[in-house]
Amino acid sequence: MSEFHDPFPSYETMSQHDEAYGKKARRTLWNVFWLLLVVTIVEVIVGLYAVDWNLSKTFLKIFFIGFTLVKAFYIVYTFMHLGHESKWTKWVIIGPFTGFILYLIFMMVIGEGNYSMTKRLDEPAAKVEHVDGGGH
Amino acid sequence: MAGATANLEKIEGWDGQTSPMRASYGKLFMWFFLVSDALTFSGFLCAYGFFRHRFAGEWPDPQEVFHHFPFLHGKHLPLMYVGLMTFILIMSSVTMVLAVEAGHRKNRRQVLIWMFATIIGGFMFVGSQAWEWYNFIKGTDTGAVLYENKMYLYNVDHTTHAVDTTTLRFKGSVLSKEESARIIASGEKFYGANLKHNEYGHIAFADFFFFITGFHGFHVFSGVIINIVIFIMALQGYMDRVGHYEMVEKVGLYWHFVDLVWVFVFTFFYLL
Repeated sequence: MSEFHDPFPSYETMSQHDEAYGKKARRTLWNVFWLLLVVTIVEVIVGLYAVDWNLSKTFLKIFFIGFTLVKAFYIVYTFMHLGHESKWTKWVIIGPFTGFILYLIFMMVIGEGNYSMTKRLDEPAAKVEHVDGGGH
Repeated sequence: MAGATANLEKIEGWDGQTSPMRASYGKLFMWFFLVSDALTFSGFLCAYGFFRHRFAGEWPDPQEVFHHFPFLHGKHLPLMYVGLMTFILIMSSVTMVLAVEAGHRKNRRQVLIWMFATIIGGFMFVGSQAWEWYNFIKGTDTGAVLYENKMYLYNVDHTTHAVDTTTLRFKGSVLSKEESARIIASGEKFYGANLKHNEYGHIAFADFFFFITGFHGFHVFSGVIINIVIFIMALQGYMDRVGHYEMVEKVGLYWHFVDLVWVFVFTFFYLL
């Protein structure tokens, strides 16, 4: 591997910190770890006893997806250090991704997820008429 | 251009006047790659959700499928093993970010220690996933009945988890005892799951399980290899020579992404 010389004052060295700051940073990291662990344990317990406790499917969906998003937020914000980046960096990454995901989910729920290959086969043969070309 | 040369030392960033978004080139493009990969995984999970609802009647309950644990054969322990896998991966994520933090203090020894722990954690996760696949492919002790290329499952009591080998289920509805006896007599026993038949329920469940966890496991494995490369680079003092440990940080981003995807896969496959 040849020597690499970065000629500009670089952002690589700007993220370096001293031992005192490092102690605080490590404290935050371990706190986030305990948070993730507790949230995962709670999710597993609820998952195991969902049937016994008669929890509705809607509640389970909101509960699990909600807590998963909480875990995702903390992983991205503290572990991936996105919280330390500039405002624009944060938005350039989160904005398009969230936009695409919301588009995907809503498109699936509203229209695209309602086609089914077997839907035609369920209909009796007599009802299948000729649709004029250019249909959709 | 004479005036510009005087400012040459002040120029920052990517060969121009500024560093867009105040981040180094490599880190920003690692983020862009992660966004594209995240969209890929989101597409897969969305497809899984579509199939899961389309065939909701015959979709296996993950807690009935994944209830094994190493060295405890026969015990019914749903979600315990995958919970352990999640813990291993989160733990390796923590050791990774501690390596990144040590890199910010240019402490080579600690970087090496934490990177090594992350590599071990990564190998443990891949091994655990392989054991999960092995159990899934091998199947249960009772199996299911394959007759005329259709899979008939044994009826399982949800409270006692006892398998009733005299009654069959097909596409979610329970068959009568006579019909079940007839099919059991003429059909053949089938154990486990592959891409053609699935003892546990609808074949798409097996397809998606292999594909999504396999794709994720491939990411974990490649992440471990890249971690080993960065570990060796740190060992040889490359990062001290260039004056910063940003390679560790970039590789840390990839590793945390792998953990993030697992959090979502765990939720959608095993919990919901």
